[in-house]
Amino acid sequence: MENLQMLFMGFSVVLTLENVMVTLLGAILGLIVGAMPGIGSLAGVALLLPLTYKFNPTTAIIMLGSLYYANMYGGSFSAILLNIPGDSPAVMTALDGYPMATKRNRPGQALFTANSSSFIGGLIGMLILTFMGPLLADLGLKFGPAEMTSLLLVAMTSIGWLVGESPTKGVVLSLVGVLLASMGMDTLTGSPRFDFGNIYLLGGIPFTPFVIGTVGFSQVLKLMEERNKKVEANLNQKLTIKGSLLTAHDFKRLLPPAIRSGFMGTFVGVLPGAGATTGAFLGYAMQKTFKSEEPLGTGAIEGIAACESANNAAAAGAFAPLLALGIPGSGTGAVLLGGLMMWGLNPGPLLFTTNPDFAWGLIASLFLANILTLIIAVGIIPFLIQILTVPVRMLIPIITVVCVVGGYSTSNSMYGVIIMLLSGVFGYILDRNGYGVAPMLLAFVLAPLLESNMRKAFIISNGKLDIFFDKPISAFLLLVLFAIVLTPVIKFILRKAGVSKKK
Amino acid sequence: MQTKKITSKMLIPIVTAIIAIVFIYFGITKYGFMHEVRGPLPGFFPTIIGFLLLALSVLAFIGSLKEESPGFPVENWYPALGVVAIMLSTLVIGMLPSLALFVLLWLRWFEKFSWKATLIGFAVIMAIVIGAFVMWLGVPFPKGFIYNLIAY
Repeated sequence: MENLQMLFMGFSVVLTLENVMVTLLGAILGLIVGAMPGIGSLAGVALLLPLTYKFNPTTAIIMLGSLYYANMYGGSFSAILLNIPGDSPAVMTALDGYPMATKRNRPGQALFTANSSSFIGGLIGMLILTFMGPLLADLGLKFGPAEMTSLLLVAMTSIGWLVGESPTKGVVLSLVGVLLASMGMDTLTGSPRFDFGNIYLLGGIPFTPFVIGTVGFSQVLKLMEERNKKVEANLNQKLTIKGSLLTAHDFKRLLPPAIRSGFMGTFVGVLPGAGATTGAFLGYAMQKTFKSEEPLGTGAIEGIAACESANNAAAAGAFAPLLALGIPGSGTGAVLLGGLMMWGLNPGPLLFTTNPDFAWGLIASLFLANILTLIIAVGIIPFLIQILTVPVRMLIPIITVVCVVGGYSTSNSMYGVIIMLLSGVFGYILDRNGYGVAPMLLAFVLAPLLESNMRKAFIISNGKLDIFFDKPISAFLLLVLFAIVLTPVIKFILRKAGVSKKK
Repeated sequence: MQTKKITSKMLIPIVTAIIAIVFIYFGITKYGFMHEVRGPLPGFFPTIIGFLLLALSVLAFIGSLKEESPGFPVENWYPALGVVAIMLSTLVIGMLPSLALFVLLWLRWFEKFSWKATLIGFAVIMAIVIGAFVMWLGVPFPKGFIYNLIAY
């Protein structure tokens, strides 16, 4: 009950003209960025980070949160109409979305199904977040430096180990991210460290240009390969809002998978390293075990509803560990966390007590963003083809200029542009070689917290490792860590054993 | 004996190993590892991470020997060259004219868009830059050598 009261208080924070306008702006930009194939939520949030400098922290995070959330809606548009997922969570949507739009000739209804399921999944995720966020924060209050160290190790390892084509590559990049973050000032003593005599490096590597480069500018370099691709919609009819409405029977089909996946997606979103893509995949896999009116993969409403609801629910659920423990579950979460730290806020167990306006304002803004995004997503249905077919060749100079200007505006110096350029080139080379940059970003953001907690734990224990195993929560988390580390090793051994058995 | 050509897949773990060695070296020799009374010193954490990175870089290097390396088409680097050109011309004509020139040349000369499409793209980009960054955020963009010469 108290949580609901706090949520209403959050609405009183959000429902100011400025906050409603930025939620609306975030929703529109999120839909556009999500709809355009090849940009994605991570690059979208990173590119828009500089635009939030003038806002107060609450308004700024409301805009970015709304953008991130709306992105989950937008990703499905190009998946349904062009068979090109706008973002990785929308890959599963394309399986039934595109056949429903082309073979069953119901493109509008496919979009409407995606929008409605996203709304339902998001709503479930937000309701669970409302109750689970403070509970997680209460649990987090029991965490001392040893427990926090173990938790941060689990979060960083799970993303590095589980995301991407190779666990080793993921962890290598996580460690590089930690070392890059350790440049500048020592977290505990404040003395300069690893600045190599460079005055600019005294302040460390600036977060915004680094993020804009690694995810935004590297994306531009990748888009160069797709610049000659022609994007055409294979539709036989004009999209209208009226022609897209669902029948009562369609809605009856949509509801059960959307509700099931909403619950499942939320819990997937809470886990570090899982996120919206895994949520969508599991939502679709779960639907396979239930009955669908039409077979999955042939344009079934149930298929679209299951994965769209799950990915939006996961996006909402991911805010629980981010706000309550300061642990982001994905690269986009890491950028949001970096933004929070940049604005002087420290997400973690104390956030709900020290900054309730902020924490509950953000949660309330997600509810508002869910409603506004649904309205806009339905409203833009007639214009979607024009938005989706903007040539990539036109986007390349636009994003390049935004990267340069964004990099410059952080410090009002060319140093930011240089960092943006170098990290963009670095990110592009890494990506081409199968090293996903999300673990590096996450490690870059979490490293100062990990270092200060680890050092504090060692100071308390007089340099002994026992402290991490003596405390039950820490010991449990370390067990989880070992399980995560050992999973791919066991999988590898089993695969090898299977191959030799076959031989 | 057949020698294997060094590819970018091999180069990445080599670079990360060098980074690890640099951090271990400075961590131990310059910033210190552990003090009996004060506990862990500023070099403690980077040194541990450095050792871990070194070990994993060796593993990644061994893994890279079996992998095919991707190609890097020259064309993909054009935006990076464009950014370098913007940075250099900013010194002379300032950042906003440099960005405008980049967009016009890219759309019209490189992508061969019609004048109409070029001007639409140009208007969109300049509206974002001037509207959001100059008017809204008040970013003082550098004006360049020529402007400074005329103004002062």
